[in-house]
Amino acid sequence: MLPDPKMKIVQDLVANLSKEEIIWLNGYLSGVASLDRKQESTAANVRKITIAYGTETGNSKKLATSFAARAKKNGIQSKLVSLDQYRLSDLSKEEWFFTIISTQGEGEPPATAKKFYDHLHQENVSLSSVRYGVLALGDTAYPLFCKAGEDVDAQLQRLGAIRVMPLHKLDTDYEVEAENWITSLLDSFNTSAPAAPQVVQTSNTKTKQHYKGKILTTINLNGSGSSKETYHIEIAANGVQYEPGDALGLIPMNSKNVVDKIINLAGADENSPVSYKNTETPLGELLRSRLSVIHLSERVVKKYSEIVQQDIPPTRMDLIDLLRIYPISQPSQFLPIVEALDPITPRLYSIASSPLAHQDEVHLTVAKNTFLLDEQKRNGLCSYYLSQLKEGDDFDFYIHKNQLFKMAPQDKDIIMIGPGTGIAPFRSFVAQRDAEGAEGRSWLFFGDQHFTTDFLYQAEWQNWLQVGALTRMNVAFSRDQDQKLYVQHKLLQHAGELFEWIEGGAYVYICGTKDPMSVDVENTLLQIITEYKQLDESQAMNYLFDMKENGRLLKDVY
Amino acid sequence: MAEQKNLSVVEKIKTASDGLRGTLKESLQDELTGAVREQDHALIKFHGMYEQDDRDLREERALKKLDKLYSFMIRLRIPGGLITPQQWIAAHHIAGNYSTGVIKITTRQTIQLHGILKRDIKPTLKDFNAVTLDSIAACGDVNRNVICSSHPSQSPLHKQIHDYAGKLSEALLPKTRAFYEIWLDEEVLADKKEEIDPLYQDHYLPRKFKIGIAIPPNNDVDVFGNDLGLIAIIENESLLGFNLAIGGGLSSTHGNPSTYPRLATVIGFVPANDKLMKAVYEVLTIQRDFGNRSDRKQARLKYTIDNMGVDVFKTELERRCGFPLGKAMPYQFTERKDYYGWRQSSSGKWHYTIFVENGRVVDDENLALKTALLKVAETGLAQFRFTPNQNLILSDIDELDKNEIEGILNQFGIIEHTDNSSLMRKNSIACVAFNTCPLALAEAQRYLPTLITKIEPLLKKHSLESEEISLRMTGCPNGCGRSPLAEIGFIGTAYGRYNLYLGGDRLGERLNQKFRDNLDEQEILTTLDEVFADYSLNRSSGETLGDFAWRKYFEQQ
Repeated sequence: MLPDPKMKIVQDLVANLSKEEIIWLNGYLSGVASLDRKQESTAANVRKITIAYGTETGNSKKLATSFAARAKKNGIQSKLVSLDQYRLSDLSKEEWFFTIISTQGEGEPPATAKKFYDHLHQENVSLSSVRYGVLALGDTAYPLFCKAGEDVDAQLQRLGAIRVMPLHKLDTDYEVEAENWITSLLDSFNTSAPAAPQVVQTSNTKTKQHYKGKILTTINLNGSGSSKETYHIEIAANGVQYEPGDALGLIPMNSKNVVDKIINLAGADENSPVSYKNTETPLGELLRSRLSVIHLSERVVKKYSEIVQQDIPPTRMDLIDLLRIYPISQPSQFLPIVEALDPITPRLYSIASSPLAHQDEVHLTVAKNTFLLDEQKRNGLCSYYLSQLKEGDDFDFYIHKNQLFKMAPQDKDIIMIGPGTGIAPFRSFVAQRDAEGAEGRSWLFFGDQHFTTDFLYQAEWQNWLQVGALTRMNVAFSRDQDQKLYVQHKLLQHAGELFEWIEGGAYVYICGTKDPMSVDVENTLLQIITEYKQLDESQAMNYLFDMKENGRLLKDVY
Repeated sequence: MAEQKNLSVVEKIKTASDGLRGTLKESLQDELTGAVREQDHALIKFHGMYEQDDRDLREERALKKLDKLYSFMIRLRIPGGLITPQQWIAAHHIAGNYSTGVIKITTRQTIQLHGILKRDIKPTLKDFNAVTLDSIAACGDVNRNVICSSHPSQSPLHKQIHDYAGKLSEALLPKTRAFYEIWLDEEVLADKKEEIDPLYQDHYLPRKFKIGIAIPPNNDVDVFGNDLGLIAIIENESLLGFNLAIGGGLSSTHGNPSTYPRLATVIGFVPANDKLMKAVYEVLTIQRDFGNRSDRKQARLKYTIDNMGVDVFKTELERRCGFPLGKAMPYQFTERKDYYGWRQSSSGKWHYTIFVENGRVVDDENLALKTALLKVAETGLAQFRFTPNQNLILSDIDELDKNEIEGILNQFGIIEHTDNSSLMRKNSIACVAFNTCPLALAEAQRYLPTLITKIEPLLKKHSLESEEISLRMTGCPNGCGRSPLAEIGFIGTAYGRYNLYLGGDRLGERLNQKFRDNLDEQEILTTLDEVFADYSLNRSSGETLGDFAWRKYFEQQ
């Protein structure tokens, strides 16, 4: 189709490109082909851009920072800002606005981007003078991949903003592609090349490291009489690579028992092939390991009600209950129901082992999540799945890097606050420091319900204290006395020394539930700093903010 | 008073302990373990506590990466085993709040609570202190709880004699204020002159020391099993004084032939006044100065005496007392038992002795004993007396109040329980053993009741069910259950295995002998079946099982 000279340029270009780059180019060109009328070529004389990031794990921030640094090198001044710090009234005045935003589990934006996200969904905002680009981070393992980025991109356009770069959706192995996106954007500023097809699909090559492991052991760490079940799971995986602070990702399987009952209720055949993601998969396997059948979203329940043509109140339900209460009238209704199901979302667990101390192994600390639904005791899918694993079972997983929760250098003091399963990464930290012979001091705060039964890894901490890998440890058991006692109370009890550690440069790590634990802990740190540094509240907040900025206050909360 | 070389570790800990304080305060503050520090382990005994752990859970907890489930046994100091109903009510609630809930009556006439977590020790002791009960010197290398024949009806002089238990206990207490400082938050004295302790000095005794007071003709205290036994001598309804019996002790160690149980030797008579107090005191000082401090297995008074010779010991005692001992006065024991049921003393007061199997006061599916006793205590009409056989006497009840107490006892089936339990069961003793005693090799109190249920048909088969045969089981050879003084004695050797001892007499004046090694339950039952058959056929008239077995199996050898 192309005349020879043009063809040669294309061929020369292609010859120098990597496979990933060619795939990207493919998407890029298709975007160019479907160019929207509103899109303009980028002007050559860009002086100042805004780079706003919405981050949960720190990846977006890391990219945004790199973006800003490279812009600067190209003579472009950039305003780098976290979306939760971004003044929303500035948006309509922006000339060049780029945002890097990640997506959380159910397709939501990160908490730090929530206000911005909501702002975009208002009606009376006009952004007609804004030129923008969105880089979306996500995880293809989730059903609503990069949903927040997609929404932001669509809303900006709906409000009249002009897209100068196509939306780019990135998987967890985002680094190379993200750099390419930044490169091409910066290049476009200089070359006045037309830009911005609507969307560029990510490459499907997965460099995210997947491993096939085997269960070595699973132990319920809670002593008899405890109301909790917390499983210590050891997985053997040769050559597994991770760092302390990283998480393990996995896709839990549905219980065979439940799936068998579903198939039975539907009058279906577990071996009948169903086309899913372009492959034929036996129905049983699909329901067991790919599709979510419990606690279905209201969206799926609604679809179900449409298919079976019955009124079902908008609520979350299990497929098995739907089939029992609102049975299908003919077997042919089942296939569309299966097609309506969401994929099982992966779950992330902070790794509790150290790559140095536990070579070729990954350990997890998993609380079995039981909750009451309609007065029935129910198990969380993933924690239940994990708690049922037996020695020798196959176990597929991947490593999820957590840039925001990295170990401090060996000579630095660390303060670790991790009640409940928040203890997991600190077992990794302390084991790693033990193996390294790190010089920095370490102080661990742990809490749970009862001393006698819920002191997770008690014997290990005692050993690490004895050998000096752990310098101090304080514990709070909430239900061992009339007054509830939590880790923050222990922080207060040792406030003076804690402050000395912090002033001396200690890194502070918080892991566990976001609310109320990490909120209470941060408030307590604020209180301690206010008192001991003799600051007013806003100064103390700045102190904490600086710690965060300098990577000395790190959180892995959920 | 030879210089002792190679002092044992415990000796060094005692001397360095600053009046038994050690690092107990620091130990209490350690959040990461339920235990106290290692060196405090020995010291906490002097405060009436043992650190223990649930041995049933050891394996499971190790797997779960949990430390052992440490807890503490707290044993009270109750000289002569007498408390008020108000004190019993307090003990009832304290047991419920901080321990397993079981109140264990011990063979030393006191009560102990098990399973108290480290953080609950202070509240427990504070609550006991509020009703003037303490646990000072209930364990440790000091004079322990002083026991005395328990039943008020034994003699019109019972109270006068019984009071010596309290007097001796007070006189022989260590002087340190450590107990009050550590557990009751008493202010630390700047001037420690008050603490100067002429008896215990800074090294206490080499080993535990037990005193028992018997009022003949009942040897319910097993007076010859004590380091120091006092036998009350009564003439013309007045207390003349006491025969002194020294060097009793029932413990031994498997496979260590230099350890052995020993009956106390009667060495003379002391009048019942200051001289008695002086003589007892000096027995302790001799043991303090001559006892073995390098080998704790050779440290009891019985070994000191056997090393010195009884005569040398007696001479030393007279020298230290400054007066000679009188010639031992005649006395006779004719029984060794608790008087179950109602009994009236010459004063007109009534007393009811309840059979408490293995001394465990608890509500179970068959008997709400603990609740019943609380109800009785709440009337305020009866005193509570613990017997050296782990039973309980509701005592000193007015004639007018007897019906009310009996009503409660009937309501809860206590009288029926006491009346209907077999004689063998009522004459049995078991120590604590598993799951808390660190020394236990085999079960005792958790197992003996079921074993007796299997022995009872054998007694019936040989028409022996009306014999008052004494049977005692201990989970190790340390003698807490006084097994060496039983007609049928069991000493645990390994889990589910026991050495069987026979030939002890019924009165506690002759030690039993090992008859069979390492029996399991079936072998126990088979052996006893044979012995009972033999006894039933071949005994002479009025011959007890103990005497028969001695004559038949041991004497000729």
